[in-house]
Formats: sequence, C-alpha cells, structure tokens
Amino acid sequence: MTGAGREPATADREIVISRVIDAPRELVFEAFTEVRHLSRWWGPEGFTTTTRAFEFRVGGTWDFVMHGPDGTDYPEWITWTEIVAPERIALLHGEHRDDPNAFASNLAFASHGTATRIEMRTVFPTRQLRDEAVEKYHAIEGGEQTLNNLAAYVAGHARKEGTS
Amino acid sequence: MLGVARAATTSDAFNAIAEPQRRDILTLLRSGERPVTDLAQELGMSLPGASKHLRVLREVGLVRVRGAGKQRLYGLDAGGLRPIHEWVGGFERFWAGSFDRLDAYVQDLKQTRREE
Repeated sequence: MTGAGREPATADREIVISRVIDAPRELVFEAFTEVRHLSRWWGPEGFTTTTRAFEFRVGGTWDFVMHGPDGTDYPEWITWTEIVAPERIALLHGEHRDDPNAFASNLAFASHGTATRIEMRTVFPTRQLRDEAVEKYHAIEGGEQTLNNLAAYVAGHARKEGTS
Repeated sequence: MLGVARAATTSDAFNAIAEPQRRDILTLLRSGERPVTDLAQELGMSLPGASKHLRVLREVGLVRVRGAGKQRLYGLDAGGLRPIHEWVGGFERFWAGSFDRLDAYVQDLKQTRREE
C-alpha cells in the first residue's frame, strides 16, 4: 500500500470484487457493451432481465427489470459515466433515473497473458447505503443458502485448524 | 434499563467484534469449544475479563455455552455471525454469481468466434 491516489475515507463505503476470466480482454470487455450479451449473464444463476432501453455510450442508459428466481422483480437503472475500450467502464447504478441512492462502479479490465482480470470497485454514497445495498442483494439471493455456506465455512475452518 | 452505549455494544454483533480481544476469543473458538479458564490463559486475559467478553458475545448470539460435567464449555454460535456474513457477503456473492455466468458466456463466445 502506497496510500497515494485514493482517499481512505471511501474504504468503509466500497466493495471490491475481482475475477480472472480465461479469454482475451477485448472479448470480456465486449460482453459488457451489448444488451444481447449482458442479458445472458447479468445476475447469478436463475436471474433474467427485461430491457426497456439500452444505449451503450457515455450518458446513455440501460433501463431494465431484473427478475429473481422467486419471481420478484427489481427495477434497475444504469448510466455510463466513462467508457475506455477495452480498459475500463465507469457507471452509476440505481433503481430509477435520478435515484439519489445510486452508487458508482468502476470496472477495470487488465490483460494477464491470454486471460483477463476484471476488477469492480463499487463506492456507495454513504456507509449506510452500502449496508443497505448488501442487505438488498442478500435478500435477492435468499438467506438459507448463505447460512448453510456459513456453517460449512465455520466447519471447514475448525477442521483446518484441528489438523494443522 | 440499559444505557444507550451499553445497549449498542450488547445488542449488535458488529459492536461486539469491534473489540480486538473479543475477536481473539472468536478466532480461538473456531478450533472448538473451550472452558473460560483455557481461553483466559491462552489469550493472556484475566478470568473476570474473559468472562465479561464472553457474556457480551453470548448476548449478541456469537457464542453459546453448554454444561459438560463440572465444566461450562463455550463455543461459536454460527447464527449470530449471520448479520456479519450478510454484510460482507450479499453484494459480493451476487457479483460472484454474475461473474460465474459471465465466464461461462465468454467461453461460449470465444468458441463461437473461433468457429466463425
């Protein structure tokens, strides 16, 4: 940590998620740029989307409804604030136009040989909104599964430490 | 009758684990149940200090206790960890799921482009 460049003040409001995908950067980037691609992978298993409007450009919007596996509909609204192909995408993500609780996500695409590393850095306006978003996404995915995973996680730790 | 500050500490798992010694207790309990004397000794705490921390951890549901003969054994209570797990897990797990599907989709796309 050099500490330069980023305000530590955002640390408790942000969530960073990264993933390495075994495909060239141009191709991974492309999957973020067209609704025919996005509709195939947006949301975890069992989710679908219905798009009302989609225009991939700075200032353009993606207005859509996300359908959860249990039938719940979630209004979603995204506008792009920066697009640098095939390196990065910055967007604002809310539930509707001018949503005061919209949050900013910065996606960075880095080449690693023939693979691509995606880093998504999401910064919420306040820590409370971050917690609320986590709650919302948690509600989306369903609680029982999480608790089961937690039990497995705790048991796994206990085993690991017991044998070391 | 609880004061505001006290209520916050004892009713909220997040406040409970803000205290480093309580985190040490939870870390130690991951390897299995222990009596308070063990915990105090291993973490270099006084017995009353360890007991006090355990009481707070029990009140927020992070630790449970059971009698085993003459001993009282303290262990992790996974139920109380739930809000913490949700807090770190909800959004992230949503995106981990999306990225799983993105990965599969991009592999298909790669294959299709190769065949074209």
